[in-house]
Amino acid sequence: MSAASNGAQPNPPSGSSEQIVVKPGRHREASLYHALAGAGAGDGRTLAELREAALSAFARSELPVWRRSGFWTTSFAELDEALLATREQPGEDWKAVSREHPRGAGVPDFVRDAIPDRDRAGRIVQLDSSIVHVELDPKLAERGVILCSLEDAAREHEELFAKWYSKRLTIDRHKLEAANAAFWSGGAFLYVPDGLLVEDPFEIVYAIGGPGVAQYGRTLVIGGRSSDFRVHEHNLAADFGDASETTGGDTYGGEQAQSLHAGAFEMYLQDNARCRLAQVQDWSLPRSRHDGGHAGQVFDASTRFVGVGRDAYCHWLPALLGGHLVRHHLELAVSEPGGDMAFRGLFFTEAEEHLDTFAVDLHETGPSGGDVHWRGAATGSSRASFEGLIQIDPGAQKTHTYLQIHTLMLSPKARLDAIPSVLVSADDVSASHGGTVGELDEASIFYMASRGLDRPSAVRLLVEGFFEPLLGQLEDEPLEELVRTKIAAKLAAARDDIEAYATAR
Amino acid sequence: MADLEIINLHVRTEDREILKGVNLNIDKGEIHALMGPNGSGKSTLANTLLGHPSYEVTEGKVVFKGEDITEAEAHERAKAGLFLAFQYPVSIPGVSVANFLRMAINAKQDEPIKVKEFGVKLQHAIDLLDVDRAFTSRHLNDGFSGGEKKRAEILQMAMLSPDVAILDETDSGLDIDALRTVAEGVQRLHDEQGLGALIITHYQRILHYVKPQFVHILMDGRIVLEGGVELVERLEREGYDQIRQEFGGSGELAA
Repeated sequence: MSAASNGAQPNPPSGSSEQIVVKPGRHREASLYHALAGAGAGDGRTLAELREAALSAFARSELPVWRRSGFWTTSFAELDEALLATREQPGEDWKAVSREHPRGAGVPDFVRDAIPDRDRAGRIVQLDSSIVHVELDPKLAERGVILCSLEDAAREHEELFAKWYSKRLTIDRHKLEAANAAFWSGGAFLYVPDGLLVEDPFEIVYAIGGPGVAQYGRTLVIGGRSSDFRVHEHNLAADFGDASETTGGDTYGGEQAQSLHAGAFEMYLQDNARCRLAQVQDWSLPRSRHDGGHAGQVFDASTRFVGVGRDAYCHWLPALLGGHLVRHHLELAVSEPGGDMAFRGLFFTEAEEHLDTFAVDLHETGPSGGDVHWRGAATGSSRASFEGLIQIDPGAQKTHTYLQIHTLMLSPKARLDAIPSVLVSADDVSASHGGTVGELDEASIFYMASRGLDRPSAVRLLVEGFFEPLLGQLEDEPLEELVRTKIAAKLAAARDDIEAYATAR
Repeated sequence: MADLEIINLHVRTEDREILKGVNLNIDKGEIHALMGPNGSGKSTLANTLLGHPSYEVTEGKVVFKGEDITEAEAHERAKAGLFLAFQYPVSIPGVSVANFLRMAINAKQDEPIKVKEFGVKLQHAIDLLDVDRAFTSRHLNDGFSGGEKKRAEILQMAMLSPDVAILDETDSGLDIDALRTVAEGVQRLHDEQGLGALIITHYQRILHYVKPQFVHILMDGRIVLEGGVELVERLEREGYDQIRQEFGGSGELAA
């Protein structure tokens, strides 16, 4: 376990907090991990032009590798390139290898089983390459809410699409990003008009039905002025063991054990808009759900950007709970004065999983507020790497932000790294970070045992307690329950491992 | 046969022998006080009785309700009806007092406790210990003052209704109000539920509020003197040094 800060100064020891005293002109060196922090690819180009530009970026780039010297390397080199795209002859254009399903095919059973039934404002479900289900409360449709596939939005809501599509997302930083921008199909589009308050969540589901799938998911969400709404995204995959069976007359995968989700998500909150955005990502669901389940090797390389406008607010909480090899770039940017945000996140890796999360708390103007709080745990021989970056751009005066990251190690073979970094280019701001690295506390376990709780129950309580400060902030009971259940399942699956760790110490 | 029998108990931790043959019998409904100077082995005894993994029993045994529990795991001892009020209760962030209590009760019984029954039980314990209802929704011991932690210990004891409770220096560091509340709580659990208790203390103060029937004095890993409440008064007059001199000086004690 380790933790280090960017630049020359080593990270303070666990449990401490460091106040960055900012002096004019002082500029801490950023890491290899850069914020997007700039204009996206949109820039007046048409969708066709963007796809073409992305295609050429795709063709000329290699599978990406992210390296944090001395800490971790996240390499997608083991991903089978044949999954990504195909062409008949060298020299011809690449085409997506898409797995399509009929529109109106409905919500697949494995999705229905995994996501609890509940009240929703609307729901859109993408299975593999196609949107298979869209529903929207008719009352909301009447009031101008739009929920449809992004493909449809490009045709039917041209003006909105042209204004916002890829406004802040790039399309060519790496091969998988380019693949998404070139080949995306289906996709989700949500527009909440000015002044509308919606209590129930809009649910966006990306599901992978089996091996051999490259899912290029693309989401665009626009919150109108003074709108107030919730978005829940779910990412999940079917049991790959079942997937050799036919689905819609078509077989999955064959020899393939891999699938890919290359995602791009962008959300823009206009003046005074408020959104609670949550994501439950668990591509390895079958393993944790029942013994003998067949979790596939789902690779996930996604970029998510949330732009917070004037006096707007976003509470964003990703729960990253499974995937064979996952690289997330998550960027929450306050772009106009008065914007505020709470950036929360939790992750829990298990078995052989590798998770690399880069979370950016970006302040482009001031006054603005930020509050970043992440918690992560790891079992098995999994690898979880987290870098949190606070970036305060020149002119973003009167910004006050804080980043904390807490980790909990549950296995001797797991590795957790958490690196907070700070890049400040304004002089009237406060930015600080802190964190803890922890293991299960045997004194706490004995305390609970003396009250009659056996070891697995005590461990579960401790781990739930560890995540509790974030779970409660979902402010949504079904979602909280879902995440709790997944955490419990992961602990149950790792019981021997956790026991061995305690004995080894 | 007493409910809790401690027979010739020898305990070591790492490479040091701390208890060197302790014998003690405690029955349900009896209040015992175990007193002794710092380092005499009081906390070792408390932790060993609940099965703390860092303490190794090298000789002798602990029998509870006729069962040899010397090798039993801590949670099994708790389920059998033993309880330890900790000298330094740990905090459990993220877990509310009420939730923890419900889990602990459910661990002891086959069927989960009914919501209503739990509510009634909790209210009763709250009244007994003079705490706020809001207290039970706070995270267990997280940010609690010393007095609040000790009240939370007694609250748990009241909810779990053990047959025999060991109170490990529950009185240390308490102001007089907290001390009185804690002591009265123990006394009432004794009177109402027939609680048996081993009150381990360094000071005499708590024994002004809870009246022990039996008093034991532990020095250098052995019980050197036993008697009734008059022993407390003697200790108050003479101090540990006097007794130490009488029973063999500061080093090894005579058998």
